[in-house]
Amino acid sequence: MEHSYLIIILLLLGMMAATVPVFMSLFFSGVLGILFFSDYPMMLVVQSFFRSMDKFALVVVLFFILCGNIMTKGTIVDKLIKVANVVVGFLPGGLAMAGTIACGLFGAISGSTVATVVAIGGFMIPALMENGYNEKFTLGIMTSAPVLGIIIPPSISMILYSMVTNVSLEGLFLTGFVPGIMIIIGFSIYSYFHAKVKRYETQPIPSFKEVVAVFKEGFWSLMLPVVIFGGIYSGAFTANEAAVVASVYAFIVEIFIHRDMKFNDVKDVVVSSAVTSATLLIIVAGATTFGRYLTLENIPGQLADAVTAHIHSPWVFLMVVNVMLLVVGMFMDIISATLLLTPVFIPMLYAFNIDLMHFGLLMTLNLGIGYITPPLGVSLYITGAMSNRDLIYVSKSVVPFILIQLVILAILSYIPALVLYLPKAFGYLG
Amino acid sequence: MIEKSLKTIDKLFSFFEDWTLFITTMVALVTLFIEVVLRYGFNKSLGWPDELVREVIMYTTFIGCGAAIKNRSMIVIDALPQVVPRLKRPLLFVSHAFTLFFSVFIFYYGIRNTALQIRTHQSTIILEIPLWIIFTFLPMMGVGMFFRTLQVIWEDLHPKLEEEGPKKSD
Repeated sequence: MEHSYLIIILLLLGMMAATVPVFMSLFFSGVLGILFFSDYPMMLVVQSFFRSMDKFALVVVLFFILCGNIMTKGTIVDKLIKVANVVVGFLPGGLAMAGTIACGLFGAISGSTVATVVAIGGFMIPALMENGYNEKFTLGIMTSAPVLGIIIPPSISMILYSMVTNVSLEGLFLTGFVPGIMIIIGFSIYSYFHAKVKRYETQPIPSFKEVVAVFKEGFWSLMLPVVIFGGIYSGAFTANEAAVVASVYAFIVEIFIHRDMKFNDVKDVVVSSAVTSATLLIIVAGATTFGRYLTLENIPGQLADAVTAHIHSPWVFLMVVNVMLLVVGMFMDIISATLLLTPVFIPMLYAFNIDLMHFGLLMTLNLGIGYITPPLGVSLYITGAMSNRDLIYVSKSVVPFILIQLVILAILSYIPALVLYLPKAFGYLG
Repeated sequence: MIEKSLKTIDKLFSFFEDWTLFITTMVALVTLFIEVVLRYGFNKSLGWPDELVREVIMYTTFIGCGAAIKNRSMIVIDALPQVVPRLKRPLLFVSHAFTLFFSVFIFYYGIRNTALQIRTHQSTIILEIPLWIIFTFLPMMGVGMFFRTLQVIWEDLHPKLEEEGPKKSD
Protein backbone atom coordinates (compact mmCIF):
# COMPACT_ATOMS: atom_id res chain seq x y z
CA MET A 1 0.00 0.00 0.00
CA GLU A 2 2.83 2.38 -0.85
CA HIS A 3 0.56 4.88 -2.59
CA SER A 4 -2.55 4.21 -0.52
CA TYR A 5 -2.73 7.88 0.32
CA LEU A 6 -3.56 8.67 -3.32
CA ILE A 7 -6.82 6.74 -2.92
CA ILE A 8 -7.67 8.73 0.21
CA ILE A 9 -6.77 12.07 -1.40
CA LEU A 10 -8.87 11.22 -4.48
CA LEU A 11 -11.71 10.26 -2.16
CA LEU A 12 -11.38 13.58 -0.34
CA LEU A 13 -11.38 15.57 -3.60
CA GLY A 14 -14.30 13.48 -4.92
CA MET A 15 -16.42 14.16 -1.85
CA MET A 16 -15.56 17.87 -1.92
CA ALA A 17 -16.45 18.03 -5.64
CA ALA A 18 -19.76 16.29 -4.84
CA THR A 19 -20.63 19.27 -2.55
CA VAL A 20 -20.37 17.16 0.60
CA PRO A 21 -19.68 19.70 3.40
CA VAL A 22 -15.92 20.25 3.71
CA PHE A 23 -15.69 19.08 7.31
CA MET A 24 -17.44 15.79 6.48
CA SER A 25 -15.20 15.22 3.44
CA LEU A 26 -12.15 15.67 5.67
CA PHE A 27 -13.65 13.54 8.45
CA PHE A 28 -14.74 10.60 6.29
CA SER A 29 -11.51 10.50 4.23
CA GLY A 30 -9.51 10.63 7.45
CA VAL A 31 -11.65 7.90 9.04
CA LEU A 32 -11.37 5.62 5.99
CA GLY A 33 -7.61 6.18 5.78
CA ILE A 34 -7.17 5.36 9.46
CA LEU A 35 -9.55 2.39 9.28
CA PHE A 36 -8.02 0.72 6.24
CA PHE A 37 -4.35 1.60 6.55
CA SER A 38 -3.78 1.55 10.33
CA ASP A 39 -5.18 -0.17 13.41
CA TYR A 40 -6.19 2.97 15.29
CA PRO A 41 -9.50 2.36 17.20
CA MET A 42 -12.57 4.19 15.90
CA MET A 43 -13.59 5.30 19.41
CA LEU A 44 -10.31 7.23 19.67
CA VAL A 45 -10.82 8.78 16.22
CA VAL A 46 -14.21 10.15 17.33
CA GLN A 47 -12.70 11.29 20.63
CA SER A 48 -9.94 13.21 18.86
CA PHE A 49 -12.58 14.77 16.55
CA PHE A 50 -14.48 15.87 19.67
CA ARG A 51 -11.42 16.90 21.69
CA SER A 52 -10.08 19.05 18.84
CA MET A 53 -12.62 21.68 19.99
CA ASP A 54 -11.30 21.59 23.55
CA LYS A 55 -8.88 24.48 22.95
CA PHE A 56 -9.07 27.87 24.56
CA ALA A 57 -7.46 29.49 21.49
CA LEU A 58 -10.64 28.80 19.47
CA VAL A 59 -12.52 31.40 21.48
CA VAL A 60 -10.89 34.09 19.38
CA VAL A 61 -12.74 32.87 16.24
CA LEU A 62 -16.16 33.09 17.89
CA PHE A 63 -15.63 36.51 19.42
CA PHE A 64 -13.99 38.23 16.43
CA ILE A 65 -16.94 36.99 14.33
CA LEU A 66 -19.29 38.39 16.99
CA CYS A 67 -17.47 41.73 16.99
CA GLY A 68 -17.69 41.98 13.18
CA ASN A 69 -21.40 41.09 13.23
CA ILE A 70 -22.18 43.69 15.90
CA MET A 71 -20.53 46.34 13.72
CA THR A 72 -22.34 45.24 10.57
CA LYS A 73 -25.68 45.41 12.40
CA GLY A 74 -25.00 48.82 13.94
CA THR A 75 -23.77 52.10 12.46
CA ILE A 76 -20.05 51.79 13.14
CA VAL A 77 -19.47 51.07 9.41
CA ASP A 78 -21.22 54.26 8.34
CA LYS A 79 -19.05 56.27 10.69
CA LEU A 80 -15.81 54.61 9.52
CA ILE A 81 -16.68 55.46 5.89
CA LYS A 82 -17.33 59.11 6.82
CA VAL A 83 -13.96 59.31 8.57
CA ALA A 84 -12.14 57.79 5.58
CA ASN A 85 -13.97 60.14 3.22
CA VAL A 86 -13.09 63.28 5.15
CA VAL A 87 -9.40 62.29 5.10
CA VAL A 88 -8.95 61.55 1.36
CA GLY A 89 -12.31 62.25 -0.30
CA PHE A 90 -11.19 65.61 -1.80
CA LEU A 91 -8.33 64.04 -3.83
CA PRO A 92 -8.85 62.87 -7.43
CA GLY A 93 -10.34 59.38 -7.04
CA GLY A 94 -10.76 60.27 -3.37
CA LEU A 95 -14.08 58.53 -2.84
CA ALA A 96 -12.65 55.25 -4.16
CA MET A 97 -9.62 55.74 -1.90
CA ALA A 98 -12.01 56.35 0.99
CA GLY A 99 -13.77 53.05 0.17
CA THR A 100 -10.41 51.24 0.23
CA ILE A 101 -9.37 52.87 3.52
CA ALA A 102 -12.78 52.05 5.02
CA CYS A 103 -12.17 48.39 4.07
CA GLY A 104 -8.82 48.65 5.88
CA LEU A 105 -10.43 50.17 8.98
CA PHE A 106 -13.20 47.59 8.95
CA GLY A 107 -10.57 44.88 8.43
CA ALA A 108 -8.83 46.14 11.56
CA ILE A 109 -11.90 45.13 13.56
CA SER A 110 -13.43 42.26 11.59
CA GLY A 111 -11.47 39.23 10.40
CA SER A 112 -13.55 38.38 7.38
CA THR A 113 -13.52 39.41 3.73
CA VAL A 114 -17.16 38.47 3.15
CA ALA A 115 -18.26 40.66 6.08
CA THR A 116 -16.18 43.52 4.64
CA VAL A 117 -17.70 43.18 1.14
CA VAL A 118 -21.20 43.20 2.55
CA ALA A 119 -20.63 46.00 5.06
CA ILE A 120 -18.55 48.43 2.99
CA GLY A 121 -19.68 47.44 -0.52
CA GLY A 122 -23.33 47.97 0.43
CA PHE A 123 -22.56 51.63 1.23
CA MET A 124 -19.80 52.41 -1.25
CA ILE A 125 -21.06 50.91 -4.54
CA PRO A 126 -24.13 53.19 -4.76
CA ALA A 127 -22.11 56.15 -3.39
CA LEU A 128 -19.36 55.79 -6.01
CA MET A 129 -21.83 55.42 -8.87
CA GLU A 130 -23.90 58.40 -7.72
CA ASN A 131 -20.69 60.42 -7.83
CA GLY A 132 -20.14 59.51 -11.49
CA TYR A 133 -17.60 56.70 -11.10
CA ASN A 134 -17.51 54.16 -13.91
CA GLU A 135 -19.48 51.01 -12.95
CA LYS A 136 -16.73 48.57 -13.91
CA PHE A 137 -14.17 50.46 -11.83
CA THR A 138 -16.60 50.74 -8.91
CA LEU A 139 -17.35 47.02 -8.85
CA GLY A 140 -13.66 46.20 -9.36
CA ILE A 141 -12.41 48.20 -6.41
CA MET A 142 -15.27 47.35 -4.05
CA THR A 143 -14.92 43.63 -4.83
CA SER A 144 -11.13 43.64 -4.43
CA ALA A 145 -10.43 46.01 -1.50
CA PRO A 146 -12.33 43.84 1.04
CA VAL A 147 -9.41 41.38 0.87
CA LEU A 148 -8.04 43.78 3.50
CA GLY A 149 -10.52 42.13 5.90
CA ILE A 150 -8.25 39.09 6.16
CA ILE A 151 -4.87 40.80 5.54
CA ILE A 152 -5.17 43.52 8.17
CA PRO A 153 -5.50 41.82 11.54
CA PRO A 154 -7.47 40.39 13.18
CA SER A 155 -7.88 37.72 10.53
CA ILE A 156 -9.80 34.45 10.92
CA SER A 157 -7.54 32.59 8.48
CA MET A 158 -4.42 33.81 10.32
CA ILE A 159 -5.94 32.61 13.61
CA LEU A 160 -6.38 29.10 12.17
CA TYR A 161 -2.91 29.16 10.56
CA SER A 162 -1.37 30.07 13.91
CA MET A 163 -3.25 27.20 15.58
CA VAL A 164 -1.94 24.68 13.06
CA THR A 165 1.66 25.94 13.06
CA ASN A 166 1.89 27.08 16.69
CA VAL A 167 3.41 30.44 15.66
CA SER A 168 2.56 33.38 17.90
CA LEU A 169 -0.84 34.77 16.89
CA GLU A 170 0.14 38.25 18.09
CA GLY A 171 3.29 38.07 15.92
CA LEU A 172 1.38 36.71 12.93
CA PHE A 173 -1.16 39.53 13.20
CA LEU A 174 1.71 42.02 12.92
CA THR A 175 2.73 40.58 9.54
CA GLY A 176 -0.51 41.90 8.02
CA PHE A 177 -0.06 45.63 8.58
CA VAL A 178 2.65 46.43 5.97
CA PRO A 179 1.02 44.30 3.21
CA GLY A 180 -2.37 45.85 4.08
CA ILE A 181 -0.95 49.35 3.74
CA MET A 182 0.76 48.35 0.46
CA ILE A 183 -2.60 47.21 -0.93
CA ILE A 184 -4.29 50.45 0.19
CA ILE A 185 -1.50 52.51 -1.46
CA GLY A 186 -1.57 50.37 -4.64
CA PHE A 187 -5.35 50.69 -5.03
CA SER A 188 -5.25 54.41 -4.17
CA ILE A 189 -2.60 55.14 -6.82
CA TYR A 190 -4.66 53.24 -9.39
CA SER A 191 -7.81 55.16 -8.32
CA TYR A 192 -5.93 58.49 -8.60
CA PHE A 193 -4.82 57.85 -12.19
CA HIS A 194 -8.16 56.32 -13.17
CA ALA A 195 -9.95 59.46 -11.87
CA LYS A 196 -7.49 61.74 -13.71
CA VAL A 197 -7.98 59.87 -17.02
CA LYS A 198 -11.77 59.77 -16.65
CA ARG A 199 -11.87 63.39 -15.38
CA TYR A 200 -14.10 62.64 -12.39
CA GLU A 201 -15.18 65.63 -10.35
CA THR A 202 -13.39 65.93 -7.05
CA GLN A 203 -15.20 66.65 -3.77
CA PRO A 204 -14.55 69.99 -2.06
CA ILE A 205 -11.85 70.10 0.61
CA PRO A 206 -13.66 69.78 3.98
CA SER A 207 -13.36 72.63 6.45
CA PHE A 208 -11.55 72.09 9.74
CA LYS A 209 -14.90 72.25 11.51
CA GLU A 210 -16.30 69.45 9.28
CA VAL A 211 -13.22 67.28 9.90
CA VAL A 212 -13.56 67.73 13.66
CA ALA A 213 -17.30 66.95 13.53
CA VAL A 214 -16.76 63.72 11.54
CA PHE A 215 -13.94 62.56 13.82
CA LYS A 216 -16.06 63.39 16.88
CA GLU A 217 -18.97 61.37 15.50
CA GLY A 218 -16.68 58.48 14.56
CA PHE A 219 -14.60 58.62 17.76
CA TRP A 220 -16.09 55.52 19.43
CA SER A 221 -15.85 53.51 16.21
CA LEU A 222 -12.24 54.53 15.66
CA MET A 223 -11.38 53.56 19.24
CA LEU A 224 -12.29 49.92 18.53
CA PRO A 225 -9.07 49.09 16.61
CA VAL A 226 -7.19 51.13 19.20
CA VAL A 227 -8.67 48.95 21.97
CA ILE A 228 -7.82 45.74 20.06
CA PHE A 229 -4.26 46.54 19.03
CA GLY A 230 -3.43 48.88 21.90
CA GLY A 231 -4.50 46.13 24.30
CA ILE A 232 -2.60 43.34 22.53
CA TYR A 233 0.69 45.13 21.86
CA SER A 234 0.86 47.07 25.13
CA GLY A 235 0.71 43.67 26.82
CA ALA A 236 -2.59 44.49 28.55
CA PHE A 237 -4.21 41.36 27.14
CA THR A 238 -3.70 38.50 24.69
CA ALA A 239 -5.22 38.27 21.21
CA ASN A 240 -7.83 35.84 22.60
CA GLU A 241 -8.81 38.28 25.31
CA ALA A 242 -8.76 41.16 22.80
CA ALA A 243 -11.58 39.45 20.90
CA VAL A 244 -13.66 39.35 24.10
CA VAL A 245 -12.90 42.95 25.06
CA ALA A 246 -13.63 44.13 21.50
CA SER A 247 -17.02 42.37 21.49
CA VAL A 248 -18.00 43.88 24.85
CA TYR A 249 -16.80 47.30 23.68
CA ALA A 250 -18.77 47.01 20.40
CA PHE A 251 -21.90 46.02 22.32
CA ILE A 252 -21.55 48.97 24.72
CA VAL A 253 -20.98 51.43 21.84
CA GLU A 254 -23.90 50.16 19.74
CA ILE A 255 -26.40 49.73 22.59
CA PHE A 256 -25.62 52.63 24.92
CA ILE A 257 -23.73 55.23 22.85
CA HIS A 258 -24.98 54.95 19.26
CA ARG A 259 -28.28 53.37 20.49
CA ASP A 260 -28.63 51.43 17.22
CA MET A 261 -29.13 47.97 18.71
CA LYS A 262 -32.06 46.51 20.67
CA PHE A 263 -32.22 43.36 22.82
CA ASN A 264 -33.73 41.30 19.99
CA ASP A 265 -30.88 42.40 17.72
CA VAL A 266 -28.40 41.27 20.38
CA LYS A 267 -29.89 37.78 20.43
CA ASP A 268 -29.94 37.54 16.62
CA VAL A 269 -26.35 38.76 16.32
CA VAL A 270 -25.08 36.37 19.02
CA VAL A 271 -26.90 33.33 17.59
CA SER A 272 -25.83 34.03 14.00
CA SER A 273 -22.23 34.53 15.17
CA ALA A 274 -22.30 31.21 17.06
CA VAL A 275 -23.63 29.42 13.97
CA THR A 276 -21.05 31.07 11.66
CA SER A 277 -18.33 30.14 14.13
CA ALA A 278 -19.65 26.54 14.18
CA THR A 279 -19.39 26.27 10.38
CA LEU A 280 -15.71 27.30 10.57
CA LEU A 281 -14.64 25.46 13.71
CA ILE A 282 -16.23 22.17 12.68
CA ILE A 283 -13.77 22.22 9.74
CA VAL A 284 -10.99 22.37 12.33
CA ALA A 285 -12.45 19.17 13.84
CA GLY A 286 -12.67 17.50 10.40
CA ALA A 287 -9.14 18.64 9.54
CA THR A 288 -7.90 17.18 12.85
CA THR A 289 -9.21 13.74 11.85
CA PHE A 290 -7.70 14.03 8.38
CA GLY A 291 -4.48 15.39 9.91
CA ARG A 292 -4.26 12.34 12.17
CA TYR A 293 -4.36 10.13 9.10
CA LEU A 294 -1.69 12.27 7.38
CA THR A 295 0.53 12.00 10.46
CA LEU A 296 0.05 8.23 10.83
CA GLU A 297 1.10 7.79 7.20
CA ASN A 298 3.82 10.49 7.45
CA ILE A 299 2.49 12.02 4.23
CA PRO A 300 3.75 15.60 4.82
CA GLY A 301 7.25 14.18 5.38
CA GLN A 302 7.07 12.07 2.20
CA LEU A 303 5.83 15.05 0.16
CA ALA A 304 8.56 17.28 1.59
CA ASP A 305 11.19 14.70 0.55
CA ALA A 306 9.72 14.51 -2.96
CA VAL A 307 9.61 18.31 -3.33
CA THR A 308 13.13 18.90 -1.99
CA ALA A 309 14.46 16.22 -4.34
CA HIS A 310 13.23 18.24 -7.34
CA ILE A 311 13.34 21.85 -6.14
CA HIS A 312 16.51 23.19 -4.56
CA SER A 313 15.93 26.93 -4.32
CA PRO A 314 13.54 28.58 -1.83
CA TRP A 315 12.79 31.20 -4.53
CA VAL A 316 11.61 28.57 -6.98
CA PHE A 317 9.69 26.82 -4.18
CA LEU A 318 7.87 30.05 -3.26
CA MET A 319 7.05 30.71 -6.91
CA VAL A 320 5.64 27.19 -7.40
CA VAL A 321 3.68 27.38 -4.13
CA ASN A 322 2.31 30.83 -5.00
CA VAL A 323 1.00 29.57 -8.34
CA MET A 324 -0.42 26.45 -6.69
CA LEU A 325 -2.18 28.45 -3.97
CA LEU A 326 -3.62 30.86 -6.53
CA VAL A 327 -5.15 27.89 -8.35
CA VAL A 328 -6.37 26.32 -5.08
CA GLY A 329 -7.89 29.67 -4.07
CA MET A 330 -9.94 29.68 -7.28
CA PHE A 331 -11.79 26.53 -6.17
CA MET A 332 -11.55 26.29 -2.40
CA ASP A 333 -12.43 28.69 0.41
CA ILE A 334 -9.59 30.11 2.47
CA ILE A 335 -10.48 28.36 5.75
CA SER A 336 -10.60 24.85 4.27
CA ALA A 337 -7.46 25.45 2.21
CA THR A 338 -5.53 26.82 5.21
CA LEU A 339 -6.49 23.91 7.46
CA LEU A 340 -5.90 21.28 4.79
CA LEU A 341 -2.65 22.52 3.25
CA THR A 342 -0.74 24.11 6.14
CA PRO A 343 0.23 20.79 7.80
CA VAL A 344 1.44 19.55 4.42
CA PHE A 345 3.62 22.63 3.86
CA ILE A 346 5.20 22.81 7.32
CA PRO A 347 8.03 20.24 6.72
CA MET A 348 8.81 21.91 3.35
CA LEU A 349 9.08 25.33 5.00
CA TYR A 350 11.63 23.95 7.44
CA ALA A 351 13.52 22.28 4.57
CA PHE A 352 13.75 25.57 2.64
CA ASN A 353 14.32 27.65 5.78
CA ILE A 354 11.28 29.82 5.11
CA ASP A 355 9.88 31.62 8.15
CA LEU A 356 6.46 30.26 9.22
CA MET A 357 5.11 33.78 9.86
CA HIS A 358 6.28 34.99 6.45
CA PHE A 359 4.61 32.01 4.78
CA GLY A 360 1.43 32.51 6.82
CA LEU A 361 1.02 35.98 5.41
CA LEU A 362 1.80 34.83 1.84
CA MET A 363 -0.71 32.01 2.14
CA THR A 364 -3.40 34.37 3.48
CA LEU A 365 -2.85 36.95 0.73
CA ASN A 366 -2.64 34.28 -1.93
CA LEU A 367 -5.83 32.49 -0.91
CA GLY A 368 -7.42 35.91 -0.29
CA ILE A 369 -6.99 36.67 -4.01
CA GLY A 370 -9.19 33.58 -4.49
CA TYR A 371 -12.11 35.65 -3.24
CA ILE A 372 -12.00 37.65 -6.48
CA THR A 373 -11.04 34.97 -9.01
CA PRO A 374 -13.69 32.98 -10.92
CA PRO A 375 -15.28 30.47 -10.84
CA LEU A 376 -15.72 30.50 -7.05
CA GLY A 377 -14.65 33.96 -5.91
CA VAL A 378 -17.28 34.62 -3.25
CA SER A 379 -16.79 38.39 -3.39
CA LEU A 380 -17.57 38.37 -7.14
CA TYR A 381 -20.96 36.82 -6.45
CA ILE A 382 -21.78 39.23 -3.63
CA THR A 383 -20.99 42.44 -5.54
CA GLY A 384 -22.60 40.92 -8.66
CA ALA A 385 -25.82 40.41 -6.66
CA MET A 386 -25.56 43.92 -5.19
CA SER A 387 -25.28 45.49 -8.65
CA ASN A 388 -27.33 43.02 -10.73
CA ARG A 389 -24.31 42.17 -12.85
CA ASP A 390 -23.25 38.70 -13.99
CA LEU A 391 -20.09 36.86 -12.96
CA ILE A 392 -18.26 37.62 -16.23
CA TYR A 393 -18.81 41.37 -15.93
CA VAL A 394 -17.62 41.49 -12.31
CA SER A 395 -14.69 39.14 -13.10
CA LYS A 396 -13.49 41.52 -15.82
CA SER A 397 -13.82 44.48 -13.46
CA VAL A 398 -11.36 43.05 -10.93
CA VAL A 399 -8.52 42.31 -13.41
CA PRO A 400 -6.46 45.50 -12.69
CA PHE A 401 -6.83 44.92 -8.96
CA ILE A 402 -5.75 41.28 -9.22
CA LEU A 403 -2.64 42.47 -11.11
CA ILE A 404 -1.85 45.01 -8.36
CA GLN A 405 -2.20 42.29 -5.71
CA LEU A 406 -0.03 39.87 -7.70
CA VAL A 407 2.74 42.50 -7.89
CA ILE A 408 2.46 43.03 -4.12
CA LEU A 409 2.46 39.26 -3.56
CA ALA A 410 5.67 38.91 -5.61
CA ILE A 411 7.34 41.77 -3.68
CA LEU A 412 6.33 40.26 -0.33
CA SER A 413 7.44 36.77 -1.38
CA TYR A 414 10.96 37.86 -2.19
CA ILE A 415 11.46 40.63 0.38
CA PRO A 416 10.50 38.86 3.64
CA ALA A 417 11.80 41.82 5.67
CA LEU A 418 8.69 43.78 4.63
CA VAL A 419 6.49 41.16 6.25
CA LEU A 420 8.70 40.35 9.21
CA TYR A 421 9.83 43.86 10.17
CA LEU A 422 6.99 44.49 12.66
CA PRO A 423 7.01 41.03 14.33
CA LYS A 424 10.78 41.47 14.76
CA ALA A 425 10.44 45.02 16.12
CA PHE A 426 7.88 43.83 18.69
CA GLY A 427 10.03 40.89 19.75
CA TYR A 428 8.00 38.04 18.25
CA LEU A 429 10.94 36.83 16.14
CA GLY A 430 14.39 35.89 17.35
CA MET B 1 -49.50 16.46 7.85
CA ILE B 2 -45.75 15.86 7.42
CA GLU B 3 -45.19 19.55 6.78
CA LYS B 4 -47.11 20.48 9.90
CA SER B 5 -45.13 18.00 12.02
CA LEU B 6 -41.85 19.28 10.54
CA LYS B 7 -42.83 22.85 11.35
CA THR B 8 -43.69 21.95 14.95
CA ILE B 9 -40.42 20.08 15.46
CA ASP B 10 -38.56 22.92 13.71
CA LYS B 11 -40.01 25.39 16.21
CA LEU B 12 -38.88 23.24 19.14
CA PHE B 13 -35.38 22.74 17.70
CA SER B 14 -35.03 26.43 16.80
CA PHE B 15 -36.16 27.50 20.27
CA PHE B 16 -33.69 25.13 21.90
CA GLU B 17 -30.78 25.98 19.57
CA ASP B 18 -31.30 29.74 19.59
CA TRP B 19 -31.66 30.14 23.33
CA THR B 20 -28.92 27.72 24.37
CA LEU B 21 -26.49 29.17 21.81
CA PHE B 22 -27.35 32.68 22.95
CA ILE B 23 -27.08 31.94 26.67
CA THR B 24 -23.86 29.89 26.46
CA THR B 25 -22.14 32.46 24.22
CA MET B 26 -23.17 35.35 26.47
CA VAL B 27 -22.07 33.46 29.59
CA ALA B 28 -18.68 32.83 27.96
CA LEU B 29 -18.39 36.48 26.91
CA VAL B 30 -19.30 37.88 30.32
CA THR B 31 -17.16 35.47 32.38
CA LEU B 32 -14.12 35.99 30.15
CA PHE B 33 -14.57 39.75 30.32
CA ILE B 34 -14.78 39.60 34.12
CA GLU B 35 -11.66 37.40 34.13
CA VAL B 36 -9.77 39.99 32.02
CA VAL B 37 -10.89 42.83 34.31
CA LEU B 38 -9.93 40.89 37.46
CA ARG B 39 -6.57 39.80 36.05
CA TYR B 40 -5.43 43.20 34.80
CA GLY B 41 -7.38 45.47 37.13
CA PHE B 42 -7.10 43.65 40.44
CA ASN B 43 -4.30 41.13 39.82
CA LYS B 44 -6.65 38.23 40.61
CA SER B 45 -7.71 35.27 38.51
CA LEU B 46 -10.74 33.03 38.83
CA GLY B 47 -9.14 30.21 36.86
CA TRP B 48 -12.36 28.43 35.91
CA PRO B 49 -13.56 30.73 33.08
CA ASP B 50 -10.95 29.24 30.70
CA GLU B 51 -12.36 25.76 31.25
CA LEU B 52 -15.96 26.94 31.03
CA VAL B 53 -15.26 28.75 27.76
CA ARG B 54 -13.67 25.62 26.27
CA GLU B 55 -16.87 23.69 27.02
CA VAL B 56 -18.93 26.54 25.53
CA ILE B 57 -16.87 26.43 22.32
CA MET B 58 -17.51 22.68 22.09
CA TYR B 59 -21.23 23.21 22.69
CA THR B 60 -21.67 26.07 20.21
CA THR B 61 -19.68 24.24 17.53
CA PHE B 62 -21.42 20.87 17.76
CA ILE B 63 -24.93 22.18 18.38
CA GLY B 64 -24.49 25.08 15.94
CA CYS B 65 -24.01 22.56 13.10
CA GLY B 66 -27.72 21.65 13.14
CA ALA B 67 -28.68 25.31 12.81
CA ALA B 68 -26.09 25.72 10.03
CA ILE B 69 -27.71 22.91 8.05
CA LYS B 70 -31.11 24.56 8.45
CA ASN B 71 -29.62 27.89 7.21
CA ARG B 72 -27.70 25.98 4.47
CA SER B 73 -24.57 27.77 5.61
CA MET B 74 -22.29 24.72 5.90
CA ILE B 75 -19.11 25.37 3.94
CA VAL B 76 -19.10 23.37 0.69
CA ILE B 77 -17.03 23.52 -2.49
CA ASP B 78 -19.71 24.13 -5.11
CA ALA B 79 -17.43 24.37 -8.16
CA LEU B 80 -18.95 21.40 -10.01
CA PRO B 81 -22.61 22.53 -9.92
CA GLN B 82 -21.45 26.00 -11.00
CA VAL B 83 -19.73 24.54 -14.04
CA VAL B 84 -22.38 21.86 -14.75
CA PRO B 85 -25.68 23.26 -13.42
CA ARG B 86 -27.52 20.02 -14.33
CA LEU B 87 -25.60 18.29 -11.54
CA LYS B 88 -26.78 20.71 -8.88
CA ARG B 89 -29.86 18.76 -7.80
CA PRO B 90 -28.38 15.22 -7.81
CA LEU B 91 -25.31 16.46 -5.93
CA LEU B 92 -27.52 18.18 -3.39
CA PHE B 93 -29.06 14.81 -2.53
CA VAL B 94 -25.63 13.12 -2.45
CA SER B 95 -24.61 15.77 0.08
CA HIS B 96 -27.80 15.18 2.11
CA ALA B 97 -27.15 11.41 2.10
CA PHE B 98 -23.64 11.94 3.47
CA THR B 99 -24.99 14.28 6.14
CA LEU B 100 -27.62 11.73 7.24
CA PHE B 101 -24.94 9.03 7.39
CA PHE B 102 -22.64 11.33 9.38
CA SER B 103 -25.48 12.12 11.81
CA VAL B 104 -26.13 8.44 12.49
CA PHE B 105 -22.38 7.72 12.76
CA ILE B 106 -21.74 10.55 15.22
CA PHE B 107 -24.86 9.66 17.22
CA TYR B 108 -23.74 6.03 17.56
CA TYR B 109 -20.14 6.81 18.52
CA GLY B 110 -21.30 9.74 20.65
CA ILE B 111 -23.53 7.41 22.69
CA ARG B 112 -20.69 4.88 23.04
CA ASN B 113 -18.26 7.58 24.17
CA THR B 114 -20.80 9.01 26.61
CA ALA B 115 -21.37 5.52 28.07
CA LEU B 116 -17.60 5.11 28.40
CA GLN B 117 -17.35 8.37 30.37
CA ILE B 118 -20.20 7.26 32.66
CA ARG B 119 -18.38 3.98 33.36
CA THR B 120 -15.03 5.67 34.05
CA HIS B 121 -16.47 8.51 36.21
CA GLN B 122 -14.21 11.14 34.63
CA SER B 123 -14.81 14.85 35.13
CA THR B 124 -13.27 18.17 34.07
CA ILE B 125 -10.30 19.37 36.13
CA ILE B 126 -11.44 22.67 37.65
CA LEU B 127 -15.25 22.77 37.52
CA GLU B 128 -15.50 18.98 37.98
CA ILE B 129 -18.29 18.70 35.42
CA PRO B 130 -18.84 14.97 34.69
CA LEU B 131 -17.33 14.32 31.25
CA TRP B 132 -20.34 12.29 30.14
CA ILE B 133 -22.35 15.52 30.14
CA ILE B 134 -19.83 17.13 27.79
CA PHE B 135 -19.79 14.03 25.57
CA THR B 136 -23.58 14.18 25.13
CA PHE B 137 -22.91 17.10 22.77
CA LEU B 138 -21.98 14.45 20.16
CA PRO B 139 -25.29 12.50 20.13
CA MET B 140 -27.13 15.84 20.42
CA MET B 141 -25.24 17.00 17.34
CA GLY B 142 -26.24 13.78 15.56
CA VAL B 143 -29.94 14.26 16.39
CA GLY B 144 -29.90 17.96 15.44
CA MET B 145 -28.13 17.37 12.13
CA PHE B 146 -30.34 14.39 11.27
CA PHE B 147 -33.58 16.30 11.77
CA ARG B 148 -32.32 19.44 10.06
CA THR B 149 -31.21 17.37 7.05
CA LEU B 150 -34.63 15.73 6.80
CA GLN B 151 -36.10 19.22 6.96
CA VAL B 152 -33.95 20.56 4.07
CA ILE B 153 -34.60 17.39 2.02
CA TRP B 154 -38.34 18.05 2.44
CA GLU B 155 -37.81 21.66 1.37
CA ASP B 156 -35.81 20.53 -1.68
CA LEU B 157 -38.54 18.07 -2.67
CA HIS B 158 -41.23 20.73 -2.21
CA PRO B 159 -39.78 23.82 -3.89
CA LYS B 160 -42.41 26.23 -2.51
CA LEU B 161 -40.44 26.12 0.73
CA GLU B 162 -37.08 26.43 -1.03
CA GLU B 163 -34.60 28.90 0.41
CA GLU B 164 -31.17 30.06 -0.75
CA GLY B 165 -28.73 27.47 -2.14
CA PRO B 166 -25.59 26.29 -0.32
CA LYS B 167 -23.22 29.14 0.51
CA LYS B 168 -19.46 29.24 0.57
CA SER B 169 -18.44 31.45 3.50
CA ASP B 170 -15.44 32.85 5.53
